[in-house]
Amino acid sequence: MTMANEEERWAEERHVAAARRGDRDAFRHLVEAHARPLFTLCARITRDAALAEDAVQEALFNAYRHLGDFDGRAAFKTWLHRIAVNAALEQLRRRSKQEVVGADLEDDEDEDFLLSRATPAPSPGQHARGAEITRRVDAELARMSTLERTAFLLRHAEGQSLNDIAQALSLNISACKQAIFRAVRKLRGALQPLR
Amino acid sequence: MPMNTTHTGPSGQRISDNELILYFYRDGLDAQRIVEIDDALFAQPELRLRYTQLQRMLHEVDCAPLLEPDAELAGRVWQKLAARIDAAPAPRRTARAWTRTLRDLLAPWPALASAALLLIAAAAGYYAGRQAPLHEELAQGHAAMSARVLDAYVAEHLRATEGLLLTTVNSDSADLHAGNRELAAALVESNRLYALAAARSGNARLADFLRQLEPVLLEVANQPADAPVQSLDGLRDYLRKTDLLFQVRATQAHIDPADRHRI
Repeated sequence: MTMANEEERWAEERHVAAARRGDRDAFRHLVEAHARPLFTLCARITRDAALAEDAVQEALFNAYRHLGDFDGRAAFKTWLHRIAVNAALEQLRRRSKQEVVGADLEDDEDEDFLLSRATPAPSPGQHARGAEITRRVDAELARMSTLERTAFLLRHAEGQSLNDIAQALSLNISACKQAIFRAVRKLRGALQPLR
Repeated sequence: MPMNTTHTGPSGQRISDNELILYFYRDGLDAQRIVEIDDALFAQPELRLRYTQLQRMLHEVDCAPLLEPDAELAGRVWQKLAARIDAAPAPRRTARAWTRTLRDLLAPWPALASAALLLIAAAAGYYAGRQAPLHEELAQGHAAMSARVLDAYVAEHLRATEGLLLTTVNSDSADLHAGNRELAAALVESNRLYALAAARSGNARLADFLRQLEPVLLEVANQPADAPVQSLDGLRDYLRKTDLLFQVRATQAHIDPADRHRI
């Protein structure tokens, strides 16, 4: 860890401790430091800027109310992100008026899907299709179930461990893995026609 | 239709695409399986091709567009938050937070921690009883407080037990099971004390439930260190048939409303 990171961590710990005592300015520092990464996280889940901003708002308010429960065993960022994941899912629930987590926990097919569609490295012509591939990835992410997308993006984009994801989504590890497998399988299927 | 071409690791066990996904993230596989897949990738060109396909596809996800926050996001969020914070009470430490602090302070001495809990609960109950004729309302308050302290401790205990059961049911990692054995051994003693405290406070249902957990904790704690993961199959079947994990969550939710969304 660099000196700058160490100082940031130390400053954050001081702000958290002060905010726990009710120091409003200290909490403002925490909001300023975390609002943008929380937005990115919530936007990955909700895929909607307005919902993501509402989720950030709710997450930070919930964090403020429960600062007394933060015990410092996990990093503050990890704790905050866990709250934000639930806030983002809650925004989606409110919008769709239906439970999204746990709605698709069926067992995954265990059949392989990579080799049958494997091709050599892309040709220059295929490189030219990069924009189309990106569009298809984005469309497939939008089509996935909320559970699949959330589990997959928390693992892939946020780098969270399966254990952390399982806790955040109130799943067991096996269900968490299956959601990620299904997400990857769907992505592979969406990209296949371009290969 | 996908081809069912078989790629195997040195142990002869088939390497599935799902395992390649876990291998990519270096998560959810035990160390030995990772080494096996390393070796197989080195030795088998077709497996390498599958893995390259996966890497390339996941790289494309990294290139997908992101919704970027605008520059005023933090200011806007704070403006709305400030109004809500002003209207809300300052953050308070809950009973759970206090008991967690107490437990952390006493962590090096688990038996002492449990004894301290029982002492607090018993003292509050005794004090409440002694004062009852004169200060009935105050005494009821103390009794309620002792019940809340016990609830907070039992809720923490059940959370740890839930984690232990999840690992028992789902994980094939020898390292995790070694940790689970130690955790189970530590939980057995506190489980007995909480069952006793629950019985003394008149909560027979909780006491019965905790007693029902004890054989499972003992079974996990007494697994031989060199036993294969398959030796847990009987226990796993028992846990599935009795739905014990759900019962642990339901009891937790009953005790601690904050956990209610989890069942």
